[in-house]
Amino acid sequence: MMFHEIYGSYYQTVAHVLRAAVDHPLAPNELKEIITGHAFGESEWNIESALREERWQLIRKDGTTPIRKKPTCPLTLLEKRWLKAILMDPRIQLFMDAGCDAIPDFIKIADTGELIEVLDLSDVEPLFSPEDIRVFDRYDDGDPYENPVYQRNFRTVLSACRTHSSIVVDSMNRKGRIRTETVVPEYLEYSEKDDKFRLVGTGSRYGGMINLARIIRCKVCEEDGMWKEDGEKNPKNSKEDGKKKLSGEGWKETTERKGSGSRMVEFELIDQRNALERALLHFAHFEKEAERIERNRYRIRVRYDKDDETELVIRVLSFGPMIRVTAPEVFVDLIRKRLIRQKHCFLKNLTEKNV
Amino acid sequence: MAYNELIKKFNRTRDYMREFYIYGFKSREEYTRKSARSYDDERRRIEAWLGDYMGFRQTADGKNVFLSIDSRQSRHNPFYRAWKMKSFTDGEITLHFILMDILACAEEELSLAQITTKVDAYLAEFETPRLFDESTLRKKLKDYEKEGIVSSRRKGKLVYYRLAQSCLMEKCLTESLSVESPSGDSAKGTQEYLDLLDFFSEVAPCGVIGSYLIDRAEENRECSSSANIRERKKCGERDGESEKNGNRGNDSHVEHFVFKHHYITSAMDSEILGELFLAMREKKNITLETINRNRDMIAENHVVPLQIMISVQSGRQYLMAYMPRLKRIASVRIDSIVSVKINDRNSRFEELRERLRAMQPYMWGVSTQGRSGQRLEHVEFTVCYGEGEQHIHRRLEREKRCGTVRKLDEHTSHFSADVYDASELIPWIRTFLCRITQIHFSDPRLEAQFKRDIEEMYRLYGLEEGDKETRDCWRDQTEMMDTERREGNRVCPKIGEYLEREGEGR
Repeated sequence: MMFHEIYGSYYQTVAHVLRAAVDHPLAPNELKEIITGHAFGESEWNIESALREERWQLIRKDGTTPIRKKPTCPLTLLEKRWLKAILMDPRIQLFMDAGCDAIPDFIKIADTGELIEVLDLSDVEPLFSPEDIRVFDRYDDGDPYENPVYQRNFRTVLSACRTHSSIVVDSMNRKGRIRTETVVPEYLEYSEKDDKFRLVGTGSRYGGMINLARIIRCKVCEEDGMWKEDGEKNPKNSKEDGKKKLSGEGWKETTERKGSGSRMVEFELIDQRNALERALLHFAHFEKEAERIERNRYRIRVRYDKDDETELVIRVLSFGPMIRVTAPEVFVDLIRKRLIRQKHCFLKNLTEKNV
Repeated sequence: MAYNELIKKFNRTRDYMREFYIYGFKSREEYTRKSARSYDDERRRIEAWLGDYMGFRQTADGKNVFLSIDSRQSRHNPFYRAWKMKSFTDGEITLHFILMDILACAEEELSLAQITTKVDAYLAEFETPRLFDESTLRKKLKDYEKEGIVSSRRKGKLVYYRLAQSCLMEKCLTESLSVESPSGDSAKGTQEYLDLLDFFSEVAPCGVIGSYLIDRAEENRECSSSANIRERKKCGERDGESEKNGNRGNDSHVEHFVFKHHYITSAMDSEILGELFLAMREKKNITLETINRNRDMIAENHVVPLQIMISVQSGRQYLMAYMPRLKRIASVRIDSIVSVKINDRNSRFEELRERLRAMQPYMWGVSTQGRSGQRLEHVEFTVCYGEGEQHIHRRLEREKRCGTVRKLDEHTSHFSADVYDASELIPWIRTFLCRITQIHFSDPRLEAQFKRDIEEMYRLYGLEEGDKETRDCWRDQTEMMDTERREGNRVCPKIGEYLEREGEGR
């Protein structure tokens, strides 16, 4: 059962309390502190009072517990089935090497390459398999997850994210030229629609965003400029060191999400052909607000990243006359320009054919 | 009944979260036609779980509540919190930890009577010890056996219980990784496991299960010391802030993934999706209850579930199912499914799934039937682009799905497709507005509508001047394409192949 109390926040918080209580009798404030640290909202008060009042008979008045071992949370069948299902996803190869079988029974740790028998799922039926699912509108040019070079680069970048190490990256730019840059990876951004990963980091003179599929090679960078083996931590080469080192060559502070200049577009929507639901679902992943202004007319505001403006323009266009952009004027102009150009396309086409 | 933060069933909360998140413009009065108290309770709960994302707007109709979440900023789906609020009784939580402890400490399997005696001993030192009878214990153990955390074995008349093997494996999973990591960094293995879970809990179906696994892995990290917490409190860290910045709680790990174009609404349908997966894995028929929200009506349908189709461009999920009543395969939106009842096995499952597979080269989205009455509908259009705009051709190539793209010259590309329902392509085709030079639908009504819509867009943006010119333009280019089609006598190879296989003619 997916909605079960054993997965709940209350059980998790109580497990934390018991872990401490197994170790030592809880001091008067300690119970409250542990609960506040793990619960939220009204649960803080609920849990504390239930334990103190011995409605949940797990902590005695003196702060001791009858529980003898630190609570372990067993894997349920559902969890094992889900794990088995994700082991069948092609993207799993980014995190671990698949065994010889199509369905690996063991997890092989990516960074070490060493086979560790962690979880034998051979007798477990997956919750779902690739043939149970079809993503029908993902773009065709997704990243090559099965390519060993791509896998190696992914792991190097992810490892550098963990250790805050700088890496030197050789990548192919749009013009087909190789570009070399040093960057401290902060995180990986994944788009389900594009099926692509991007490295986002600091310290690069080029802005710090690199499509992973464009990386030819990347290695952890030593301070003296020499490269270290893939994915190995170089404690000397911390994020701060990277900044210092690069300060003389146009280092740019990019601690915020790249392109994070936030903008707002406002449009009116007429709810015909189920446009309201379609639009609100379509723009659901943005910060947004909807307001009814007439019976079937709505005003919707969407906050977007300025780097994604062109994408947003064409997404607005996809709703046709159901949506009319009202502000800002610069966005209205972008739509208007496209429509004017569309008019000319037909006229030009006709003229050419007639000639 | 007094307000309780915890909930027994997820369906009502699912409806309210959906309303607040997707729509967010309804006033309290619009929700309270059925029950004002239900609305107040649900709003209060959702505010407790997702207060950081909740907003209010005062309008003439009253106060509107909405949820606004930039899923690119939030590294974990905030809706998963609601899944961790299942209600339970005082006895259940007490018994859970005691039972798990008894079984974890036992060197061999235990009978029900032995467990009952031990439970009593655990509780004896409390002022007013709870009493659990054998029947309550049996019921709880049976529940845990179903969940896979306890296993049992019958020996003679007695049933013996022990922790399921998975518990040991899980321990191994989180501990051995840390120990065996050659780097010597004890947290390394767990961090790798957490990275994997961070990613798949957001992108895999039923990702909430990944979120449960993250909670367990984090719990095992032993970061719950009061000293740690005190230190964090000094730094003024708040739960909400830390979560928004990628940390989930006081002992949370650092996440290394951010998600763009990330639709999080599917989290609310996780249980339904899980049921559908179970039915498909077992090749079983199901009875679905679906809601028509416009009419506020619930309908019951007996279907054969065949596949889940997911849109990463709208976040919608669909069940493709064979409908015996209609004798065809059709789609059902998963967010409209209220309940799933798994029935008997269907011997034709593989055959029906194969039929769906054969249909997919002619499905743009999930529709298996257009309005024209034609078995297949044809759509084609041509786009032009300038010197520095070669990416337009590449865009067509990567977004074409079941269509065909041809490069006519350095500045012109042609797209065509034969699909069950050409109306599904219209939103996508509109994204090429500003470069469409020719367009044709085999269904003239669709074509007329497409062109009317563009004229309406011209009007909306004050470009109505030249409307007549535009209309003439559309008419002339339609005639031109018809002539080209007649002269070219083009037959789409895909159509021929399909009709041959299906034995249908047009």
